[in-house]
Order: sequence, then C-alpha cells, then structure tokens
Amino acid sequence: MEFTALFLAVTVVMVVAWWGTRTLALALFAATLLASIATYLHHASDVLKLSF
Amino acid sequence: MTRSLASILNALGLCAIALVLAVAFAAQLLLDELPCPLCLLQRIQFAMLAVGPILNVRFGPRPSHYAVSLFAAIAGAAFAARQVLLHIMPGDPGYGSALLGYHYYSWAFIGFAVAILALAAILLFDGQFRDDGKQPAGAFARAAVWLMIALTALNVVSTLLECGFGACPDNPLAYELLKRAP
Repeated sequence: MEFTALFLAVTVVMVVAWWGTRTLALALFAATLLASIATYLHHASDVLKLSF
Repeated sequence: MTRSLASILNALGLCAIALVLAVAFAAQLLLDELPCPLCLLQRIQFAMLAVGPILNVRFGPRPSHYAVSLFAAIAGAAFAARQVLLHIMPGDPGYGSALLGYHYYSWAFIGFAVAILALAAILLFDGQFRDDGKQPAGAFARAAVWLMIALTALNVVSTLLECGFGACPDNPLAYELLKRAP
C-alpha cells in the first residue's frame, strides 16, 4: 500500500510542478523524497550476506 | 547553451526516463515478473527524477530544479546498490530475469549513475540560466511531460493491483487484487 501511495504522491508532485506553484511542487517533492527514504529504511531489514 | 536548447534537452531527458519505466512495465507484463518492494522503490526514484525536468520545462532552467533531480538520482542509486549487494554472493541467481546480462537493479544503478553525470554536465552551462524572454515549453516538451505523468499514473494502478491494500510481499508472485476468492 505504501508503494501505491508513493507513486500517487509522485504523480501529484508532477501535476503540481506542471500546473501549480513552484514552491508547492518543491515542498511536495521534499516530502515525497523523505517518505521514500523512510520506506526504504523500513524495508531494508534483510541482512547483507557479505564477508570480507 | 540557450534556454530553448536546455528545454529540449530536458524534454529528451523526460523521454529517456519514460523509456526506462516503459521497459520495466514491458518486462512486468510480457515476462510476468512482478517488481519486488526494492524494485518499486527504484521505479519511484526514476519517476521522481522527472520532477526536475518538468520544472525546467514549465518555469525555465534553474540550478534548484537540477538539484531536485540530483537528490532523486542519489537516492535511487543507493536503493539499487543495496539490491545489487543483496545478490552479489557467488551462486546467487539474483531477482528476476537478466536483460542483456544484467538484472533490472544493476541497470537501475547504471541509469542513476549516468543521470548524476548528465546532471553535473548540464549544470556546467550557465547560459541556460539567463532569461532571454522566450517561452521555454514547446509541443514536444509538453508531450514528454504528459507521457511521464501518464506512465507514473499507470504505475499507481499497477502497484495497487500488485500489492492490494496491505503490505507488499517481498517476493510477489501474483496480483493481490486479481486473486480469486476460494
């Protein structure tokens, strides 16, 4: 569900960037980027099978 | 470099990103391989990469618009690198099919690295930031913007079908919303 929400958020950012104000588009972009990084950190729980 | 040329280059960049998303979609539909959560995050970063060029086409080129794309490209490269490392051990078959010898996440890492280099290169040309009073967005640029928005909206539908209203499985094998009730 979170990925659907992220894609929807990016679509909204694009539409605002094309039709809305520049400031709002940049603010929405920042929020979406932070949300995608938070989603990544939430999912990045698999152990990397690396040995050096 | 003039503002008009920069606008055309940004529109070409949008077409390149659209091509990446279209190829990912084609692999998903033709090979019946559903994207994993990390794969979806990389697609999202490719879509976010397009926000900078859209702003450049609409408002004219500005360094801050290129910075927006740089943030998305760096995040995307980090996500792709994580998935490459997950499958780097010898004998690991990787996730999904390989395309021309590389898996999707390897291509994604290369794509984000190329985007970072391209963004750094285009920022070298200061002439594009001088306002020459011309309308930056032509028909080609407008079409590229709408193609990108349409592809991202299609991903909303596809991801909703794949993941449903719950958490997306780590190794998705079927579209959650298309499963028939027993």
